[in-house]
Amino acid sequence: MRPIGFSTGALAKGDVARGVELQRTRQRIDAVELSALRDHELPALAAAAGALDLRHFSYVSVHAPSKLETLDEQSVFELLVQLPEPWPIVAHPDILRTPSLWRRLGARLCIENMDDRKTTGRTPAELRALFEQYPDASFCLDLGHARQIDPTMASALQMLRELGGRLRQVHVSEVGTRGEHRALGATTRLAFSSVTHRIPEGCPLILESVIPPEDIERELDAVQTALEASAVQVATA
Amino acid sequence: MLEAQSGAKWDAIRAARAKTDDVLALLGAELADLADANFSVVVTGSLGRGEATAGSDADWILLVDGPSDPNHAILAGDIANRIRKVVTKEVGRTGTFGGIVASHELVHYIAGTRDSNENLTRRILLLSESRALINPLVRERVIQNVLARYVVHDRSVQSRSGVRQSVPNFFLNDVVRYWRTMASDYASKMWERQREGWGIRNIKLRFSRKLLFTWGMIAAFAAEVFPSAELQQVGDDDEYYHALAKHIGTLTEVTPLELLARVVMACDDKELANRIFSSYDAFLGVLSDPDQREALEKVPFERALDEPAYAGLRDASHAFREGVTGLFFDAHPALKRLIRGYGVF
Repeated sequence: MRPIGFSTGALAKGDVARGVELQRTRQRIDAVELSALRDHELPALAAAAGALDLRHFSYVSVHAPSKLETLDEQSVFELLVQLPEPWPIVAHPDILRTPSLWRRLGARLCIENMDDRKTTGRTPAELRALFEQYPDASFCLDLGHARQIDPTMASALQMLRELGGRLRQVHVSEVGTRGEHRALGATTRLAFSSVTHRIPEGCPLILESVIPPEDIERELDAVQTALEASAVQVATA
Repeated sequence: MLEAQSGAKWDAIRAARAKTDDVLALLGAELADLADANFSVVVTGSLGRGEATAGSDADWILLVDGPSDPNHAILAGDIANRIRKVVTKEVGRTGTFGGIVASHELVHYIAGTRDSNENLTRRILLLSESRALINPLVRERVIQNVLARYVVHDRSVQSRSGVRQSVPNFFLNDVVRYWRTMASDYASKMWERQREGWGIRNIKLRFSRKLLFTWGMIAAFAAEVFPSAELQQVGDDDEYYHALAKHIGTLTEVTPLELLARVVMACDDKELANRIFSSYDAFLGVLSDPDQREALEKVPFERALDEPAYAGLRDASHAFREGVTGLFFDAHPALKRLIRGYGVF
């Protein structure tokens, strides 16, 4: 079984502590992504990070802001870099405006593939160019984004073939027509199951499906049905 | 590059490519504010092939890949007006272009009772000669879905030797079907339109329509003609077919003339290159000359050989046909094996 858990933002928008609390007591959950998708959430996350009870989780990552609205790039970087060292920092390519700054994070910088609202990092070719700029960075495969770009999942498979050695975690959700993250539907589950053999056994699955707390178990079932069926042992890099 | 290698000058081809780039840039700018994740505006025809001339129209579609929305119809009208500002010639009268096309039919109605001549035309032209004016990812997404139908979801029984299928029969058959459909439609339009405009349709069948067929054949043979290390290394069967669809998909970014040039270059045969591309250059040369183009459009059937523009291109078309026949049946080491294996039976 791969480590599995939710992004705090999916369960409790703007409330990391609540997002953690909703997961901390569930036996099936052993991974969490602390979300600071809106940049005004980051200072609070940085301040509270030490006080969060994360003992339950074998894997913790943090999602960097997706837009810079109240903070500048340097301030965001400084807040992120002071978070505990083992936490990968998941980032959208378009916030990485000064490559020399972000390269300092090495493998801790975990670049995510994008949906079709963005202008870079969407396709295998665009990711290839990005990782040339960040040769040490790791990779967060967002399956919903990849499926939105190419529903056949051929692009996701290509990303996994080319970037599998960098894969640090996988984002799982259905992505709607406006880019919103939703619970997995039947065709999405079918699509995701076609790439599961390429996702290493130890790779954490972070669910971004925006759902009410009472649907947590059902969503975990859906994801595990889609992605755990034919998992094979692949060494993580 | 092939032009330099052959010591030839193909001015009309070069001019048409430059003209296409100019028109596509103008059209792209005209539509630039219509960003939307669920549709693209796609051109086919001479603009899609990189062969625009002064007399070209713009065969466009509003390609919708997402929830249907009544506003698409309003947008289609707006798009038509904006395109008309750049390309004044009206789109063809069949109704195949110049409006909304939903991806659903392109992906789901391949062959079978619900496919239509119009759907087949749109589908094959989307693959072989299309360019997105805006939102190119939508075009790519639909193309990849169509290719998945052909390649991923239609496979032969696994061979005893374990060798995987490299030529997708469904795709190849559809390409052949489209070529034969175009040829049959030529005869149908001769009948329905009482030979009006027959001359230019005849010449296009001999050149640009035939060129599309070569694109399709080469694309269907892509795994053999353009071997890919990545494709050969894929271990998993499902993944192999996805990768094969992706491999063919890369060729949808290459114009038919460019793809043909890549294959001809591999033969290292100047005479062959000249036969094919000098005759095609003559075709584009005539189309880019308004007087000669008009002569082609109006030439009476009974006096066809008295019209120099028609008669000259008819002769050139024989050289083009001999050239591509030589390429597929004799000159190219992979193609001559493949055309024998898959071309007829």
